[in-house]
Amino acid sequence: MEEIKKAILEFAEKTGKTKFYFKDMEKAVHKVMPDVKARMIKKAATELINEGKLIYFSTGSTTMYGLKGRGQTEDH
Amino acid sequence: MFEPKEPQKKLKYEELRIYTDEELNNYTEEELKEFKCKHPIPDVEDLEKGPWPSFVADAKREALHRRKLPDDRLLIGKYVVEDTLGQLQLSFDHGETHWKHGGIVGVFGYGGGVIGRYSDVPEKFPDIAHFHTLRVNQPASKFYDTEYLRTLCDLWEFRGSGMFNFHGSTGDIIFLGTTTEQLEPVFYELTHVLQQDLGGSGSNLRTPSCCVGKARCEWSCIDTQDMCYELTHYYQDELHRPAFPYKFKFKFDGCPNCCVASIARADMSFIGTWKDDIRIDQEAVQAYINGEIPPNGGAFKGRDWGKFDIYKEVINLCPTKCMWMEDGKLMIDNKECTRCMHCINVMPQALRPGKDTGVSILFGAKAPILEGAQMSVLTIPFMKCEPPYDNIKEIVEKTWDWWMEEGKNRERLGELIQRYGLPKFLEVLELPPMPQIVKEPRSNPYIFWKEEDVPGGWQRDIKDYRSRHKR
Ligand code: HEM
Ligand code: HEM
Ligand code: SF4
Ligand code: SF4
Repeated sequence: MEEIKKAILEFAEKTGKTKFYFKDMEKAVHKVMPDVKARMIKKAATELINEGKLIYFSTGSTTMYGLKGRGQTEDH
Repeated sequence: MFEPKEPQKKLKYEELRIYTDEELNNYTEEELKEFKCKHPIPDVEDLEKGPWPSFVADAKREALHRRKLPDDRLLIGKYVVEDTLGQLQLSFDHGETHWKHGGIVGVFGYGGGVIGRYSDVPEKFPDIAHFHTLRVNQPASKFYDTEYLRTLCDLWEFRGSGMFNFHGSTGDIIFLGTTTEQLEPVFYELTHVLQQDLGGSGSNLRTPSCCVGKARCEWSCIDTQDMCYELTHYYQDELHRPAFPYKFKFKFDGCPNCCVASIARADMSFIGTWKDDIRIDQEAVQAYINGEIPPNGGAFKGRDWGKFDIYKEVINLCPTKCMWMEDGKLMIDNKECTRCMHCINVMPQALRPGKDTGVSILFGAKAPILEGAQMSVLTIPFMKCEPPYDNIKEIVEKTWDWWMEEGKNRERLGELIQRYGLPKFLEVLELPPMPQIVKEPRSNPYIFWKEEDVPGGWQRDIKDYRSRHKR
């Protein structure tokens, strides 16, 4: 689990984007750990959200993830 | 027997109310006629004309009501409604929206249920600088009592704009417009006091919804309320923590009349049906023929349609032509019946669905976004449907696993099925094609030969063939 979380954070920091889809995150994890199930990646992402390291971004119809502190803030 | 998953308390408005009767009834109809919105809104007011009720008329009542409440009785801007109308006028003037799209607001731990909205002209409309929407999971079949509704109204007046949608087209209650600071308090009140959760938004399972089902409708072949409640609870993680390629909707209809329009609006439509024969009461059929019982439950009584004619109104309208009269009796060839409900709707006292009931499952309806609008496609003609619905959950999970694996970002299930073809989808579900799912050859071709199904595969002895067939 910790390893998946590490892979997610590395991807989130490396990517030039302020927000990304779950799938982008999944692909990045699969590059390092090809056999991890999507469900586990989701669990890891949820933990990162709860720890305040990742944030959700939602348009109302689509949801993306982002690194806390980068890009948009809550007042905007 | 239905068992709630947590102890249910009875809400008492008197204990939860925020406003007094005087505060709730704080303006007269005279004052309403005189009411002028803070911003000039000629085009918005134009929407009040015509025969239909208008949200503008409702919004003005709310605006006047808020103006007359003391400042300390409202936790967000007093002019939130007037600013909403003002910004709408500005959008009409410019032919462009002035809402920014999306945001990172939410309540702790949830990725859905809150939709961040901000005005891009906050200096003009300060009370809607933040205008976040909350989706609230409606009770099954949208059954409320007035104590509950009044409590909701007070809560949202106090902490939000006072404006709702009852209900959004997905089925949930929509709380329109509040500030970021109010999100957690509203969430706390909803969940801890009112026992009501937020619904879905974004790339997750959207708030499931169902028809009135067995609670009020004798045609219901499945317990839609129970199923909706069970799957809502069972899939909490999918509802609140988005990781799907896009939205996903479940809807439950008790019979093919499809009162929640699951066939048009759900990625996975559950429609009650039956396997045995339509039950016929021949005496009641005669009573309809003799004009003793009004057809359609009397719904068209006022119309000048003349005497009831069973051929014109029922037999000739049967889509599969599987009904006829024989020696004064109504006959049905049930193996040809598609369960369209027409005859049952016309003569409900004479005809009833069978007793061996279950569910048909259809997949892939959606509104036009990437591709055009689509209806759900019948894929599982009949399945038993009883708590705890393990057979159904298995199908749900196979579907999600495939879609999460193969679906592109923002690709709905219906589009994915279209991209891969129906036979592939059946393979994913590990189901054989069935005659009921084929509407006509070629319009939905489920059946293709594969090399392993053909003796000798794709290889053949060309010489042997040519010995019998000249070039
Ligand atoms: C009286 C005014 C309004 C009415 C009658 C209205 C009605 C609706 C309805 C029926 C839906 C579909 C809900 C569903 O699918 O369950 C919806 C969705 C939505 N509304 Fe409104 N709405 C109003 C005002 C607003 C305003 C002012 C905003 C933004 C500030 C807003 C933002 C949204 C968003 C973000 C969605 C979701 C869109 C999506 O799923 O992609 N609405 N609205
Ligand atoms: C009683 C005899 C026949 C009947 C009832 C019949 C019926 C049909 C039907 C219903 C189709 C449409 C199939 C589909 O849309 O999937 C069709 C297509 C076709 N038929 Fe026949 N047919 C008969 C004889 C023949 C014969 C003898 C030939 C050739 C010599 C022929 C050549 C074709 C061709 C080329 C097509 C189009 C195939 C395609 O679109 O791939 N048919 N036929
Ligand atoms: S869908 Fe069928 S069962 Fe449900 S309320 Fe409508 S008619 Fe009744
Ligand atoms: S339900 Fe529809 S298809 Fe079946 S017998 Fe009645 S009218 Fe015909």
